[in-house]
Amino acid sequence: MSEAPEHREPPHLEPPHLEPPHLEPLYLEPRLEPPLASLLESGAFLHSLTDALGSPLAVLLPDRIAENAGQFRAVYRRHHLSGSVCYAHKANRSSALVRRLAVTDAALDAASLGELQHALGAGFTADRIVATGPKDPEFLWLAALTGTTVHIDGQGELEELAGLVRKHGLPRVRILLRLSDFRAPGVRIRSRPSRFGTSAGSLDRLLDAVERHRDTVEPIGTAYHLDTTSLDEKAVALEGCLHAMDALRRRGFRPRTVDAGGGFGVDYLAHGAQWDRYTTALTHAVLGRRPPLTWGGHGYGLRAENGTLRGTLGLYPSHRPVAGAAYLDALLSLPAPSLGRPLGALLLENLYDLHTEPGRALLDQCGLTLARVLEVRRTDSGEQLVRLAAKASDIGLEEHGVLVDPVLVGRGGDEDPGGPPVGVHLTGSLCLESDLITRRTVFLPRPPRTGDLLAFANTAGYCMDFGATRAQRQPPARKVAVHRAADGWQWCLDEQYWPITRQGDPQA
Amino acid sequence: MRYDSITEVIGNTPLVRIDPAVHGLRRIDLYAKLEMLNPFGSVKDRAAWNMARPGLPGAVRRGETVVELSSGNTAKALALIAGMHGLPFKSVTNRMRIPEIKDLLLLLGAEIEELPGQTECLDPTLTEDPLTLFHRELTRPGSAHLHTDQYFNDRNTEAHATGTGPEIVADLDGRAPDWFIACIGTAGSSTGVARVLRAHDPDVRVVGLVGRKADFIPGIRTVDEVHEVGLFDPDTYDTIEAVGTDEAIDGMLTLARRCGILAGPTGGAAYYGAVRHLRAAEEELTGRATAVFIVCDRGESYLSYVRRHRPELFNRPPVKNSVATLTPAEVQSAAAVDTAAAQRWIAEQQPLVIDLRSPFAYAALHIEGSINIVDELFDELLRGGLPFGKQQPVLLACPVGEQSARYAALLTRMGHPDARSLAGGIIAWRDAGAPLVRE
Repeated sequence: MSEAPEHREPPHLEPPHLEPPHLEPLYLEPRLEPPLASLLESGAFLHSLTDALGSPLAVLLPDRIAENAGQFRAVYRRHHLSGSVCYAHKANRSSALVRRLAVTDAALDAASLGELQHALGAGFTADRIVATGPKDPEFLWLAALTGTTVHIDGQGELEELAGLVRKHGLPRVRILLRLSDFRAPGVRIRSRPSRFGTSAGSLDRLLDAVERHRDTVEPIGTAYHLDTTSLDEKAVALEGCLHAMDALRRRGFRPRTVDAGGGFGVDYLAHGAQWDRYTTALTHAVLGRRPPLTWGGHGYGLRAENGTLRGTLGLYPSHRPVAGAAYLDALLSLPAPSLGRPLGALLLENLYDLHTEPGRALLDQCGLTLARVLEVRRTDSGEQLVRLAAKASDIGLEEHGVLVDPVLVGRGGDEDPGGPPVGVHLTGSLCLESDLITRRTVFLPRPPRTGDLLAFANTAGYCMDFGATRAQRQPPARKVAVHRAADGWQWCLDEQYWPITRQGDPQA
Repeated sequence: MRYDSITEVIGNTPLVRIDPAVHGLRRIDLYAKLEMLNPFGSVKDRAAWNMARPGLPGAVRRGETVVELSSGNTAKALALIAGMHGLPFKSVTNRMRIPEIKDLLLLLGAEIEELPGQTECLDPTLTEDPLTLFHRELTRPGSAHLHTDQYFNDRNTEAHATGTGPEIVADLDGRAPDWFIACIGTAGSSTGVARVLRAHDPDVRVVGLVGRKADFIPGIRTVDEVHEVGLFDPDTYDTIEAVGTDEAIDGMLTLARRCGILAGPTGGAAYYGAVRHLRAAEEELTGRATAVFIVCDRGESYLSYVRRHRPELFNRPPVKNSVATLTPAEVQSAAAVDTAAAQRWIAEQQPLVIDLRSPFAYAALHIEGSINIVDELFDELLRGGLPFGKQQPVLLACPVGEQSARYAALLTRMGHPDARSLAGGIIAWRDAGAPLVRE
């Protein structure tokens, strides 16, 4: 607290050499849509929440996930496709989001025993759940017992599942075959090797095993999940799945579902021009042609060698003009690499259902993370440090390579601009040099003050709790679900939320 | 002129004056260095030959594969050179974005490897990016590769310092131009030429052109990518300016339509960037001056690129008998039959059942006795008139009954008395439990 008054002094009293010579603030303003945008304008509400529940605090907008699922459904309709939009639960632990989604027509992708239990408990019936990822015997057993569809990673997992079904007399399990390593016509694509799935080239061997176990499993289709932003790579995979469906049919099975996985992405930034300007400036900073833009000159994967830029920019493409449902639309509109018809048309005319597993994309605009400013000070070399009541792991944006500015929420509203834009470094609450909320110099429209809140927008997808730790007995952020009622914002703890509980609404 | 080998034809390209009535510059003579007239079609022929030449005898002895990171003209030139020497060629590239070049490379027998896109779930600690792995493979002991390394190989620059640059000076009667304008791809041509011109006249002004950041112009690096090029040295250029896709295409159109120079988008970008820069610079000029820009390659390979960015340039007259001209009312009033009625009709009248889906889908499952004419083919057939007699009743089937309704309406408009659409399509047929066969 003793630091605060010092920074209310007029700027000209400060030693002139201290402000780094940034030419202009390089903002990366978040893309904000309703209701997230209006939530951020409700400073008093956010302050009272954080006063009561502590910093950091995760705030969720469960109604928005239903809206996002609706956007995916609209793309299905445009291509006349049926099938499920399966929320990849791993992107957020929240109960509110899962319970809200349970009353839509969406399905859920559970990647662990805990997630499966959670989904069942939130009201998802097993026909609306797919079990994915590495599975332990208990997870497989509960999935089989309840009738959940199981993504089969490979022959080993198939044998294990078939053994469980026989041993415990369980009903026949519906399975999707997860494939990988598809071949494109004409060219070889050096895709990143994946630990998951069965190589499309080994499909026949897998199908032999499926035939041996046809009394215990029923293959309802094929699936892929590629870790790439490239539409063309996904087109190759989706077409590969169509060919694999044919192989299933040739063996007398009646597959009906193609699962196109996730990875539809989110556009985090309001302005593409800011992203372009920022990444160019980062390039120049790495090459030493302008002052550093990061703590310690970190290059986010880029480095300079003899004046030439080397390395690869290890960042999420924060500005993605085609993301979410629009990305799915683009994928379905793309011609299949060898069959030539648009992929959506091929799915439709083969009478297949499409499953998708969006995580991040379904959580776009679904929440934010609040952190209180504890201290503002300058280092001897003139860098402005802003210490937050949060660990770096509580705000996962940096961990996931997403660069986006936090929004400053002053306690007394923002009628007083309170000074010129500043470049600051945001540090975390751990006693650890590397506990930086971001290694980037963050530009804020005014100098932050002790007691201010920084709101990190759009953290719900993977950046809320995925990597949050309990280091130094500092708990991860609490979660609250909020919604806007007639008389203003209402909230409840995440675990208290049910779709029928609407604090502040007239009792029906 | 007689030559023993096609590689001897590389270089000695013409310098052609652009008509001032086209560019509108009053005090500057603007010349185009027509690198598009090299035998393999581009400025890269010089670098490719100069880089590959010393290594070829050894590569032939050891049976090596020529390898380059290129998605365009360098790959094309190297594929041809490698072929002449009986060597395989492999191109590794981020993404072949020009389908014509990709197909040409495949036709030449090249192997193409594409690098994957960015990861969606970022692992910031990952050092094994595909490009790094590729380089490691090349440098592994015993690797049978001749890697020409165009972005870092000084012989790329040298090809222009000994060829392109001196040719320009010779064609301008021993003088260097006042301005030299070039797009930056590998930076080889601009660096090599600039070196020669400056040696002649230190006052030569060199303008480097890069792509605008969000744009893609084949053969040009964007303002950020240019820093990844080993041959790139910002001090080579007096100024670096950005050109966008639209401007490149505008320049390409001007060169093709007004100057008779069938340049590709890179040449178009160079022309556009040159005129834009010179128009401003001309204001301070008192005497006459000359400027030279490079036309890298030809335009024919970029038709799909231009079509994607400027579809309006390809407008065609509306086709006859097109479903696009149907009114909603016409489609609405098309005769449709549901699954049960269709099954009865098929049993009683044996209409021609046309399945409009793709052969791939038809082969998997279809209505017994139906014939498969995929919609795009059917569409083309109808342009010429009715492909079957009017006494032949027709049942059209598509996945959900939308397309079939449109074609039923079109057939009706064309005078067919009994064309019907399968309501709800083959999905409704399946859901009603009606039989589908696989033959």
